[in-house]
Amino acid sequence: MLIMDEDNEKAYRWEGDYEKTWEALREDDSGSLQASIDAEINKAKKRRLLKKQRKVRLGMMRHIFIVLDMSQAMTDQDLKPNRALVVLKVLQKFVENFFDQNPIGQLGFIITRAKRAESLSEMSGTSQSHIKSLMKLSSEITATNAKSCTGEPSLQNSLELAEKTLKNMPSHTSREVVVIMGSLTSCDPSPIYDTIEHIKMQKIRCSVIGLSAEVHICRHLANETGGTFGVILDQTHFVDLLNDHIDPPSGMATDSSLIKMGFPQHIPPHENGKVSMCMSTKQFSVGGYYCPQCQSKYSELPVQCEVCSLTLVSAPHLARSYHHLFPLPQFSEIQYARYVHQGGREQNCFSCLKNLQKGSESSVHQCNKCKTIFCLDCNVFMHVTLHCCPGCINSRCEI
Amino acid sequence: MDPGEQQVLVVIFDVSPVWWGLKSLQGQAHITKFFDSLIIFMNSYLMLHSDNKLAVIASHSTKSIFLYPPPQAGNEQNSSEYGDCRDKHFAVVDNAIISSFKTLMSDGCEEKDMRSDSLIAGSMANALCYIHRITQELESRERASSRILVVKAADDAASQYMSFMNVIFAAQKEHVVVDSCVLGQDSGLLQQACDMTGGLYLKVPSQYAFLQYLLTAFLTEPELRKDSLVLSRTKSLHSVDYRAACFCHRCLVEVGFVCSVCLSIFCQFSPICSTCETVFRPSSLVLKSRKKRKVPSRSSSPCTDASIK
Repeated sequence: MLIMDEDNEKAYRWEGDYEKTWEALREDDSGSLQASIDAEINKAKKRRLLKKQRKVRLGMMRHIFIVLDMSQAMTDQDLKPNRALVVLKVLQKFVENFFDQNPIGQLGFIITRAKRAESLSEMSGTSQSHIKSLMKLSSEITATNAKSCTGEPSLQNSLELAEKTLKNMPSHTSREVVVIMGSLTSCDPSPIYDTIEHIKMQKIRCSVIGLSAEVHICRHLANETGGTFGVILDQTHFVDLLNDHIDPPSGMATDSSLIKMGFPQHIPPHENGKVSMCMSTKQFSVGGYYCPQCQSKYSELPVQCEVCSLTLVSAPHLARSYHHLFPLPQFSEIQYARYVHQGGREQNCFSCLKNLQKGSESSVHQCNKCKTIFCLDCNVFMHVTLHCCPGCINSRCEI
Repeated sequence: MDPGEQQVLVVIFDVSPVWWGLKSLQGQAHITKFFDSLIIFMNSYLMLHSDNKLAVIASHSTKSIFLYPPPQAGNEQNSSEYGDCRDKHFAVVDNAIISSFKTLMSDGCEEKDMRSDSLIAGSMANALCYIHRITQELESRERASSRILVVKAADDAASQYMSFMNVIFAAQKEHVVVDSCVLGQDSGLLQQACDMTGGLYLKVPSQYAFLQYLLTAFLTEPELRKDSLVLSRTKSLHSVDYRAACFCHRCLVEVGFVCSVCLSIFCQFSPICSTCETVFRPSSLVLKSRKKRKVPSRSSSPCTDASIK
């Protein structure tokens, strides 16, 4: 990986000393590489854990525009079958994960091609509409054999289009733009430095993911607005870079305020047999969620009421964000031998019963609060998916 | 059923000593009867397919314990040596469950264990970890459809709301279906869990109906339930209460104020968030209404100005 991810000042990898990467792998006594491969896999799992550090203040209500390059450069086949299709496929997963982690956030998509920028799907909080438009675009690309990816992208036009919507967002929300650039050029009508200055004033955070190489203006844009810049190595690295935007960035929104929200109750079909129209999908159905302020009906939450513009959510939506605020503290890793030496008697992982002595890893992971021990897999699962420690719940420790 | 799909079922049995003690003193229900019914249910489940996997967790008031698979032989749970001799397989499973249940019951409980609420969230977290491990071990060969059946007796613990919610979301993400069979009072948390994961929520009226319910409703796998007239109807019968409780007075609100930093819910506007101590700007609604009041007062006579004040 390029060192540029860590720091601007440091040299590039090709300027450093010659590295012998194959020496990291060592054969064990029987000549097998399995042990060192396992060690590498475990190391990767741990890296994933360490990334999740405690953040002080989060921009909970996020508004992100994703700018998609759909120019000629996206027909390149360095990602199979071509860049455009791979990006669209990864983005569909991203949309799902994003709303999973930011249930009251909003996404919007902009595509840029032939020196123009157009909106692919408007800013909204429902994943279905975004996924549908992404799928439509990718089937269009397959059908035309990537003929629809034409011309050059325009960074400036797309940034201005995103800004037009983002500047109207309330000041307590975060405003972000993620640009996925395949091209090494951008065709802009006027000096782009002015636009960047303007965007900085609006407190819009711009991040760029380059698919081909580092471009000065992209890095400049990211640095000026407090975003991140990265160039992908391969498809998995692209997924990693994109997934960095799933977790809310800390300390983005400077203003804070109380927002009025409605918690509509779900009326099941058999209680209210009348057919009425859902205001967001414009389809007739029986039963649904009724806005407590104006009684208009919606079939899905979260949504902003079209009539009285009240934000409608359900309590679990808000609860889903709590794990960002009360994250599970890191477990400490100790050698199994030391654990036994300290008087530990457990032989199995507390929650999945995996035998800790036999496993490939010789260390156990201990929760610092309840002193329960877990295996590495459970540790990762708890920190990434579960967000709570079974030992602590069972011993009724305060979280 | 998809032939390549493997079933994983985790049964969580609430053995809260206070609730069961009270019930047996009143002569209404006895834990052993319910336990017998559960064992019949588990045997029938194992009988459906030789690949079906099972785990049983007892949820005590301060601990949750795996009754099956026994922790000593955690890895040899489904080895093929009993493959063609099913009675033996049943015997092994039953003996393991019964013996660990006996030790759990005879261990007794201390003063601090005497809580009237149950620890379902902790047991569910354990169940999810176990399912996660099983599905990871399988993944290369086949897909697994997994579910958790919660047999709940005691009341909800209010302090567990956050962990319970986390568990539900994790289950939803892992595509694990949560079914619940409630013996005591209705549980709002479990209702939400079943609704969000697509599971079945049933309240059993009497102990004689318990086995019937288990066999007719919970033996059917979630995929097949939508084809069943009775089961597909019962699912939509309950209206689930998704209203939020405000942090300040613990009352259910329909329209509330939410802190943009920490998402705490309040039933009325306050200038400082009690959870994260953020100072708020007065909301735009409040500002606007003030301006409206001021504009006419300036243009009108001082008399009306005073009356507004």
